[in-house]
Amino acid sequence: MAVKFFGQFLVEQDAVTGESLLHAIELQERTNLKLGEMAVAMGFITNQDIETAHSAQLSKDMKLGDLLLDLGFLSLNQLEEVIARQKATHLYIGEALVKVGALTADKLDYYLAQFKADQAPFVVERVELPEWLNENVATWEAVVDLTYKMITRVVGIQFRPGKFMEIAALSNNHMIAAMDLSGDLTARYMLSVSSNTQKAIARAILREENVEEESVEILEDTVMEFINIVCGNVVAKASQSGINLEINPPITIHPPVSGLPVPDGYRGVSFPIHVGNDEIMEMALFIK
Amino acid sequence: MKKVLVVDDSLSVVRQLEKILNESGDFICVGHANNGAEAIKMNHSANPDIICMDMNMPGMDGLTALRSLVMLDKDVQVVMVTSLGGVGDKFTEAIKLGAKNVISKPFEAENVLRILRAL
Repeated sequence: MAVKFFGQFLVEQDAVTGESLLHAIELQERTNLKLGEMAVAMGFITNQDIETAHSAQLSKDMKLGDLLLDLGFLSLNQLEEVIARQKATHLYIGEALVKVGALTADKLDYYLAQFKADQAPFVVERVELPEWLNENVATWEAVVDLTYKMITRVVGIQFRPGKFMEIAALSNNHMIAAMDLSGDLTARYMLSVSSNTQKAIARAILREENVEEESVEILEDTVMEFINIVCGNVVAKASQSGINLEINPPITIHPPVSGLPVPDGYRGVSFPIHVGNDEIMEMALFIK
Repeated sequence: MKKVLVVDDSLSVVRQLEKILNESGDFICVGHANNGAEAIKMNHSANPDIICMDMNMPGMDGLTALRSLVMLDKDVQVVMVTSLGGVGDKFTEAIKLGAKNVISKPFEAENVLRILRAL
């Protein structure tokens, strides 16, 4: 019931051991050459050219392939040939597990079908985003869509997503849980909830029918745990597209009545989530 | 009955896991630690059979603690329980460091118990 990658799914299903997965990953690392290594193997450039390009990368924010073109070490045709060879010779983890004898080809087909079904609920759907959020769109869509999906799957409440709004401050509510995303992107993820929605989240996370007697600390902790689940799954989804993100442990914020202002250097966007007739929770992002 | 130590800074996750373990009939939760450093101390004092540990905690994180736990106690059986389970690098690092398995959040009780029973 979470975003997974195929190797993890297999270990979790007890289809392969962690040790055999590591052997398969080692085989992948030996087989799947990086762009520079492949260009050397194809005789287009030398190791010295790669060293020069890596040194140039310290002052130029460019991908290695673009830099090798820029420096005149590779022609565009050669770069395309290298990328095509990388794709053609890429060893996937399932194939690697068959090669190291951890899985049969039949079992691989069986578990690939199982994996596809397991992950179907986490295929990210298109979400309307502000025009200024036009880079790393897939990751921002995952942030919003996985929030919706986890509300359905974890909390189990009915809701209606509203249209996004650019904001100067996140409105006050009963509580706000926040989590910082860093790495390839920098943003603060926040979920602002009413008292009723907080209790609905608490009932789901604690697996209790009645949470009226629970302490404020526990009730707030359940909302923090919920956003930890959302953000962890966002990080997993982003990693599948080569976007590396880190998360810090979640925190609770009790802003002033005027709301939580967007800090300097950031832009704020809120995604209202209508719960029932008159309850609104908000998922908001402050993005650097 | 196998003794389990739960390591997580989230009180609600500790409550969830305690409930699942104590209602299973096969496991008993013998305590909980808030971070990796406490886990190392409690592995010595509570002598659990299994440790269920989060990765992302303030103070000493789960992977750092895992490295120390495996070094100090070669018989320790650690299962990571984390929202970051689906991140390939994190999963692989945990297995390389000696974790027996990695359970992703949100988890289902049956899945947690199946993985712990397989140890």
